[in-house]
Amino acid sequence: MHALLLTIFAAACGGDGAEEGAQEGDRPEPQGSATRIISLVPSATLTLREIGAADRLVGRTDFDTGAWVADLPSVGGGLEPNLEAIVSLRPDLVVRFAGSQDRRTPARLDDLGIPHIAVRPDRVEDVLETVRVLGRATGLEASAAELVARIEAGLAEVEERVRPHPRKRVAYVLGGTPPWVAGPGTYIHELVTLAGGDNVFSDLGELYAGVSPEEIRSREIDVVLVSGTDVFDPSLAPDARIEIVDESIEIPGPHLADAALQLAELIHGPLAPASP
Amino acid sequence: MSRWTLGVGLLIATLVSVLLSVRLGSVPLTTAEVLAALGGNGDPVVQDIVLRLRLPRVFLGVLVGGGLAIAGATFQALLRNPLAEPYILGISGGASVGAVLVLAFGWVAAGSWALPLAAFAGAVLAIVLVFRVATATGRAMDVRVLLLAGVVVAAFFSACIAFILAISPARTVQSAVLWIMGSLAGATWRSVLLTAVYTTPAVLLLVAMARPLNLLAIGEETAHHLGADVERVKRISLVVAALITASGVAVAGVIGFVGLVVPHAVRLVIGSDHRALLPLSFLAGAAFLTLADLGARLALAPTEIPIGVITAFVGVPFFLVLLRRSVATP
Repeated sequence: MHALLLTIFAAACGGDGAEEGAQEGDRPEPQGSATRIISLVPSATLTLREIGAADRLVGRTDFDTGAWVADLPSVGGGLEPNLEAIVSLRPDLVVRFAGSQDRRTPARLDDLGIPHIAVRPDRVEDVLETVRVLGRATGLEASAAELVARIEAGLAEVEERVRPHPRKRVAYVLGGTPPWVAGPGTYIHELVTLAGGDNVFSDLGELYAGVSPEEIRSREIDVVLVSGTDVFDPSLAPDARIEIVDESIEIPGPHLADAALQLAELIHGPLAPASP
Repeated sequence: MSRWTLGVGLLIATLVSVLLSVRLGSVPLTTAEVLAALGGNGDPVVQDIVLRLRLPRVFLGVLVGGGLAIAGATFQALLRNPLAEPYILGISGGASVGAVLVLAFGWVAAGSWALPLAAFAGAVLAIVLVFRVATATGRAMDVRVLLLAGVVVAAFFSACIAFILAISPARTVQSAVLWIMGSLAGATWRSVLLTAVYTTPAVLLLVAMARPLNLLAIGEETAHHLGADVERVKRISLVVAALITASGVAVAGVIGFVGLVVPHAVRLVIGSDHRALLPLSFLAGAAFLTLADLGARLALAPTEIPIGVITAFVGVPFFLVLLRRSVATP
């Protein structure tokens, strides 16, 4: 039993979201125009595509599932990737996760002399920063700036369109027993707030946590957002509307304004039209 | 301490822990509110909390905790091994494979029964596999082969889980870890009923076999000479105890330490006469798990911590103290 739990804990710690990332400022950021890029961070891969660097990608991870990267060789997972596969692709830039979850990879990349940059895809602000960092690394600053402006405009539009709607009390459930909910400090919380919802678990002491079912029953909730295929017992919130959310919106990336709009429509129903 | 003193004490402890568990929770309620809700009056939210969330959860804790403890006591007697616990026959591994498969393939969407059903099926599969191996050698079932087969099957299942999780997204891994650590949060009246329908007669049957179990604990040879139908007792009690574990693991996940620590603790106090050991283990397990669940709900409320954390944190030091005392006074 213990060996089993250890295995799973190792997998869980290795695979879970990069919420606690230490900012790393000790290494100069590679500048210029990388031409053979491996992105270990799926949302950064999407950003590279958006700023027009798709043809510079030479590798992907198992978690990049879009048809446009399907022909690229995979280097395994984003954390602790297969270093031999990376070396064999002769990259001049590796984009990796910031933070302390995978201490091995940055050290090994240094040993191998492969330039790398760390991005932290945890918060709305991180997404914009990632775009700028990747723009500098690829010499595509102009299109990066344009993408940042596009995302900001998209977010501003969502904010404007939800303004006439009264704010709704929202619980975001990620499944599990007891039900896991998103708390403050998470990307999901930010997205819900942008979409005109007030997270009823703003008082949660952690980023995500399983809460007592009676806690959900006792809180006033207008909309329960249930992510993906997870099951939520509707009798825990008999007065709330229950909506299924596509899990893909939980991944912070260049499409975050679309994600916010999607969430806003789930929370409020049809939105006021955008002003011309 | 005599067995009667301990029996009365444990009965009171179980009742008190049941009452506390209905009275307390992450949502603060007054005694008057709880009593009104029990009578079917008052705020509908409070009624739901008391009647549909807390009560079934408390009953499930009693059934699963008592069931695991009595199953553990039975396995320790039959396998004549102090390390035996309810999950020894690869039951937790089999149940976990079932649960992880359901989570990995997204079958949870099929309904709230999909996961417990798969976990139960996995546990039964493990039991069947281990028994087939242990009885393949001849007519008599060799408990050493049974033990070894259980360990090996558990290792195999654990490899299966590691493989499935290695190729699954982080979300599946997270759900799987949570499930494996166990929780009573999913309790409904239906799960209580299903567990009770099996656990109640199974517990009575085990208690009824206490005398032959006493003989078996001495040794199979001796038991045979003293007139016990060794094979029959062994098979029936093993299957019954294994199925109690399977039904518990299906509704509450893998909750450790109850089945190992509780029977030993009871044995250290009153000795190993199974006529007293089995029923008292049930009571002690019921009280222990109910209180552990209360701790899991209250410690960091509104967040729940895994119940296995509490059973280990409380059970292990308590057990070590008992163990020291029993060594000090032979």
